[in-house]
Amino acid sequence: MTRKSVFRDPDLCVNCKACVIACKVKHMWPPYNTTGAMAEPEGVNLLQVYQYGPEISMDGKVHQPFVSIACMHCEDAPCIKVCPSTAISKDPETRITLVDGDRCIGCKACLWVCPYGAPSYNDDGKMVLCNLCIDRLREGKKTACEAACPASAIYISSPEDISKLRSRIAVERIAKGTME
Amino acid sequence: MNGKKIIRSTCKACHGGCGVLVTVENGVVTYLEGDPDSPTRGTMCAKGLSSIQHMNHPDRLTYPLKRVGERGEGKWERISWDEALDTIGNKMKGFIEQYGPNSVCNSQGTGRGYGRYTVRLGNSYGTGNRGLGTSHICYFPRLKAFEAIFGVNRLYCDYHGWGGEYPKTQISWAKQIEHTNADGEMAVWFLDSLKHAKNLIVVDPRATSITNQATLWLQIRPGTDAALAMGMLNIIIYENLYDKEFVNNWCDGFDKLKDRVREFTPEKVSEITWIPKEKIIQAARIFALEKPGCIQTGEPLDAIHNSHSNALSIIAIMAITGNVERPGSMMCWVPPDTGPMEVFHWEIADNVTKENLEKGIGRDKYKFRPPGFCHTETVLRQLREGNCAIRMLHQHGGNFLFSLTNTKNVYKSLLNLEFISIADQFMSTFCEIADIVLPVAHWLEEDDIWDMHPGFMVRANNKAVEPPGEARSTAWIYLEIGKRVAPKFWPWETVEDMLNYQLRKADIKWEDFKEIVMLARTGKDQPYYKYKTDYWRKGGGFPTKTGKVELCPTMLEDLGYDPLPYYEEPCESYYSTPELAEEYPLILNTGGRVAYNFHTQFTNLPWIREMQHYPRVQIHPDTAREYGIEEGDWVWIESLRGRIRQKANLFAGMDPRIVVVQAGFCYWEKKGHARFLTSNANVLTDDAGPFDVAIGSSNYRALLCKIYKVKDGDPLYDPIDMDN
Repeated sequence: MTRKSVFRDPDLCVNCKACVIACKVKHMWPPYNTTGAMAEPEGVNLLQVYQYGPEISMDGKVHQPFVSIACMHCEDAPCIKVCPSTAISKDPETRITLVDGDRCIGCKACLWVCPYGAPSYNDDGKMVLCNLCIDRLREGKKTACEAACPASAIYISSPEDISKLRSRIAVERIAKGTME
Repeated sequence: MNGKKIIRSTCKACHGGCGVLVTVENGVVTYLEGDPDSPTRGTMCAKGLSSIQHMNHPDRLTYPLKRVGERGEGKWERISWDEALDTIGNKMKGFIEQYGPNSVCNSQGTGRGYGRYTVRLGNSYGTGNRGLGTSHICYFPRLKAFEAIFGVNRLYCDYHGWGGEYPKTQISWAKQIEHTNADGEMAVWFLDSLKHAKNLIVVDPRATSITNQATLWLQIRPGTDAALAMGMLNIIIYENLYDKEFVNNWCDGFDKLKDRVREFTPEKVSEITWIPKEKIIQAARIFALEKPGCIQTGEPLDAIHNSHSNALSIIAIMAITGNVERPGSMMCWVPPDTGPMEVFHWEIADNVTKENLEKGIGRDKYKFRPPGFCHTETVLRQLREGNCAIRMLHQHGGNFLFSLTNTKNVYKSLLNLEFISIADQFMSTFCEIADIVLPVAHWLEEDDIWDMHPGFMVRANNKAVEPPGEARSTAWIYLEIGKRVAPKFWPWETVEDMLNYQLRKADIKWEDFKEIVMLARTGKDQPYYKYKTDYWRKGGGFPTKTGKVELCPTMLEDLGYDPLPYYEEPCESYYSTPELAEEYPLILNTGGRVAYNFHTQFTNLPWIREMQHYPRVQIHPDTAREYGIEEGDWVWIESLRGRIRQKANLFAGMDPRIVVVQAGFCYWEKKGHARFLTSNANVLTDDAGPFDVAIGSSNYRALLCKIYKVKDGDPLYDPIDMDN
């Protein structure tokens, strides 16, 4: 398997949250730990979608991007550098950032340095992170979030492919007048 | 049930019907994902995916229950299925014997592919009072208008490219299919087809998420859709942009329509709708010239007292631009070999006597409705007045305390029913006032045939695991009740026999169908331009009285209604009730929906609730400033009917005079009336009318309200005044 990179398109995203729940179905097992009482919950989320705007221009164009944020699997990842217990590492093949829950000491130093605020913490205080559904990728499947997305707004591919895709999207949107 | 297996099935978390792959290990569903080899190509939504948490919810109903305390007191006794079904069956028979079939109403919540069972049950015991609920404000107005104009009850947007072309221009009118309400078209089909579209026109008071991708956004004043549609018709007709070939050869009543829309000039329509006239002209020209095109129409068009006119006028735009039956336009899909599954209830419709149909409540007044459906607001008023012919209600799913207008009145009305039995998965507030509650299986726990809106496909719901406790499938419950009240029409011994019967035209048995999962007519098998063939009429044409597309429908004329579209102000507005607007100065729109709830469903799931713990009312930042309201503040929203509280969400993507309340938000964790009175949008909506003259639709989407901050010491909610 080649190196993997992520692109989530804020202009195509429709804020439907399918990726958020697909991620939970994949990674939050068992799905139930509730006692039936519903306190204000603080969920563990490997992936979240944020809404910006809307800003409306004079000609009525709506600028309201939806930004979905998870671990970006940085090449030179600050979390790996800062982790005192070497719990975070890179999969040598795909360059996906992985966490070893056994080694994590829950110090949250990774959260301080992550530019995306991606690390989340389980009830036991250990860090959890998007692993790009590495097991699914190894089986030749799409990640849970990419598979679920009805808007084709999530791409997991090689950095080269994503670079090409971004250029193509830019050209298309300039031609269509949806991007200045 | 040892080992791991993957089952192909169909999601019923809404009425979409996406293909799913269910992983089952040792009798437990351990994974859920979209089926890449299905028409929805492996995508799913937050609602469907959270089913894995929904089905395992600790509050699922697991045994039949009999109420032993007062209504709403919450005292129940576990009973056997035999006792529950016998009680329901005997009650039905008793009322029918004493007062006739019209004294027993049976109804349902949103369709999840089981409408044919509920309707067949009503037909089998012969009632003219079926379908209490929301059909008149959701889907029927559009369906009936399609039927009146084309003779077929629905045309769908052709997003599929099967005819070699995709829509070049798309209009998304009062619809957020990317979030909710997959009635015939699905989000993934729509979003995929946008890659081929040149123009996307969004008609919505708010900047919805798809508005980001729109070439043109018509920011309409709520409730004025018919005026906009007639304005577009005016431009298309008087600028000579209509499809002359199609109109001359295949349409009837064009001149009458032309006369009717004459006065709807862009200037006048702009004044009514608050949309700049240039944009109205631009939208009309684009849709008329950049073809093929299609229009997606949403439920808000139905949930207002001008509903049939909204539908007639928008459908007329499709017709006169020739966007009918051509690839990439509006299509009437031919079903697979099974034929339309609704035959299961049509085939015994004659069992309801003409007299009982005519005596159906509201039938005398609102005639442009499918036969057998009673008029909800009239029934509820009669119940309160104590003169209602309906004495018993059997209900499947749904919660009228959230879905019907003016919740407090709905509550008082329902208490006056002599007997209520409900089948549901959870103890809803509606169940709490029932006499018998039946536990229903989840879609992951039942075998059935799924036949919802898209029309070109029929799919299998395959049971993945056993239901909890004694919960039973919908099909089984209906078969068992049917056997007790009208055995002649429910002759099958098992559910599988009944499913085989429904599949017989396709010459396939359930045991084979469940393996192939889907029968569909797609690609080259789906015929276009059927009106040019003998499909509907020998020699071509449409299945209407005149054989043509009836722009001035004879069906409406025959019923004594104005057959042409017209515009009427919302029953509460700055222009129709200026004095009321002084006290209630803001426009109340209850169309707020989120992608992860389906009506009251799913707000009891931690995964869903952590995305939104409280309901939100969208207020423009300028208006919020005027009222001293900040993001996250609790706000009272008050209408003539009462008040509710929601949390303020400042949203700049709409006119400052509009307030958008989130609908259907159920606090499952709260007890008693707090659950449905605290934040329920329908406490505010209107049940007094006027209603749509032909269908009886009530007013949900364009009313008047005032807002103010919740103060310390305010009650959580205003209780129901039972004496008034």
